[in-house]
Amino acid sequence: MLKGIAVSEGIAQGIAFCIDADRNKENCEDSYRKAESKDEESARFQEAMTAFLEETERAARDLEKRGMSEEAGILRSHMEMIKDPSVTSKIKEEIDNGCCAEEAVDKTMKFFADLFEATGDELTMQRAADIRDINSSLCSKLTNNDLMDPAQLPKGAILVIRELTPSMAVKIDPARALGIIAETGGYTSHAAILARALGIPAVLGVKGALTYIENGKTLILDGISGIVLQEPDNDTKKEYNKKAEMFQLQRERLNVFRGKKSVTASGTIKEIFANIGSVEDAESARAADAEGVGLFRTEFLYMDRTKAPDEEEQFEAYCKAAKAFSPDPVVIRTLDVGGDKDIPYLHMDQEENPFMGFRAVRYCLENRELFKTQLRALLRAGAEGCIRIMIPMVTCLAEIRGVKALMAECCEELKAEGKRFDPDIKTGIMVETPAAAATADILAEEVDFFSIGTNDLTGYMMAADRGNAKVAYLYETYQPAVLRMIRDVCKAAGKADIPVGMCGEAAADPALTPCLIAFGLDEFSVSPEKVLATRKKLSLWSSEDAIAVADKVMSLGTAEEVKQYLDSLKKEAE
Amino acid sequence: MVSKKVKVVNSQGFHMRPVTTFVGAMGKYESDIKILSKGNEINGKSLMTIVAACIKCGDEVEVQCSGADEDAALQEAIGMIESGFGEE
Repeated sequence: MLKGIAVSEGIAQGIAFCIDADRNKENCEDSYRKAESKDEESARFQEAMTAFLEETERAARDLEKRGMSEEAGILRSHMEMIKDPSVTSKIKEEIDNGCCAEEAVDKTMKFFADLFEATGDELTMQRAADIRDINSSLCSKLTNNDLMDPAQLPKGAILVIRELTPSMAVKIDPARALGIIAETGGYTSHAAILARALGIPAVLGVKGALTYIENGKTLILDGISGIVLQEPDNDTKKEYNKKAEMFQLQRERLNVFRGKKSVTASGTIKEIFANIGSVEDAESARAADAEGVGLFRTEFLYMDRTKAPDEEEQFEAYCKAAKAFSPDPVVIRTLDVGGDKDIPYLHMDQEENPFMGFRAVRYCLENRELFKTQLRALLRAGAEGCIRIMIPMVTCLAEIRGVKALMAECCEELKAEGKRFDPDIKTGIMVETPAAAATADILAEEVDFFSIGTNDLTGYMMAADRGNAKVAYLYETYQPAVLRMIRDVCKAAGKADIPVGMCGEAAADPALTPCLIAFGLDEFSVSPEKVLATRKKLSLWSSEDAIAVADKVMSLGTAEEVKQYLDSLKKEAE
Repeated sequence: MVSKKVKVVNSQGFHMRPVTTFVGAMGKYESDIKILSKGNEINGKSLMTIVAACIKCGDEVEVQCSGADEDAALQEAIGMIESGFGEE
């Protein structure tokens, strides 16, 4: 099994068609030879460039005809790149130095690709792929050796390549290619955008794909999870056939909700946000039609490294996430370290009971410099986009005041340094401890919003670790104790007139949707792939019906009864 | 020579697509066009060097034009940057 980055959703089963583009790259250097005459090499380059421009223009017009003007814009950029005076003058210079046209083009394009790579800026670095793409196109024009003839692609093929170049992507006929696998590339590469636009399932960044996958073998490509399987057995094939059918059906049903407002059957507008753990997730969450980010877990910025990320790195990450969602909000949770999340360089002591120990905001308030770095980055990013700060593991007012005092310090510093920041950044808390839930009315007076973290709240309320098989049965959001807490937190938020969201798994539980509507939850933050499904579920319930369900649920005595009752509703709906 | 400072307002900054439009427009002018950013002097007609300069939203750049049609060139350049290259 291979795994990569799922960039274009869908499931494909087909025959591997491997193209090792590296071979062609070597060919490019192989094609270097002694230039006989400068004029002749110049003329050969001009001819190749004209052919490239004509072909690209044709492809761009083709895309426009198919209503893909954005994608056509990518190809027009390619045309401008080769027409760029600094490119043509460098090529001319190389030819004057005695290079043949192939070498002049290759050296020049590699020079610019390296320049782009050296910027360290992720988006610019990805554009280096575009330059290499132009390089190989021109090279094949010069040597009359076209890289990929789309007519060669047999029907039912899954293309396996080193790097999916935009020029290849536009030549792919969606009627023939069932899927695309590439060794390099990420979610925002042009090739990924094109694959999504063409509606071809694609998994990029599959390391070693060309080594492991053999031409002609049967492949399954899961463009949802990023998994690639070679020569699957019959049971696996059947399983994926089913998955593919379900996916198609669901996609058709759910796509109706894409781009729509999230609104209940009786017209109350809600918000459906996404939970993310990285900047890359922000892009896919936006593509999944989330209306904002309800929880950006910043722990992942701190993990798998030897020291904490500095202010600039964090600032850039937060800005990028905000930009992906601009003008909609991105709620960023401050470092939630401890519990089950260990970060070695923070040197946290072994504790007997880490879930009730020195973690999250408790740790941050003691490690002021570490925390201030994050707060400064957040305050600055707040001036560049719509960012909200969320404090985890709050149990009492003192913690909120402590964080606010630190924020005020940061604001003073930033002001003195003349840096841009948002002094009025919205600050809210996770409600995930029984203490916070029980005093929600008090806490609501001093924060701008709540977000209920049902995962921890359930564990703390029931005093049950879901990882412990002997007590896991108690860990259940349907427990009356947990549901009452959720209801009361929503009520307190409503009274204080602050918005209340939910970022635990319960937010995406379709059985609980009517209860959450009835409680007055404003924002549902779910994993990106659940956005449309949650929006659909919301649309099925009117306030009146939801309140009737919630009243019934709240009158039940046990989690089992609640579950049974909610399950019976599900059956009715089907 | 005429010049003017301007702030980059579009979210993508000087990225591939906006810059494609920009150099397409600047190519019409006879004047030399330079963009000054973070101490670098960039050829305003070169897509590659502009993109490689990673000019971001919020950055301030100075556009310098010199030549027979410098006024018109500067006016169009500033207009494009200020309007966010028609993005958004």
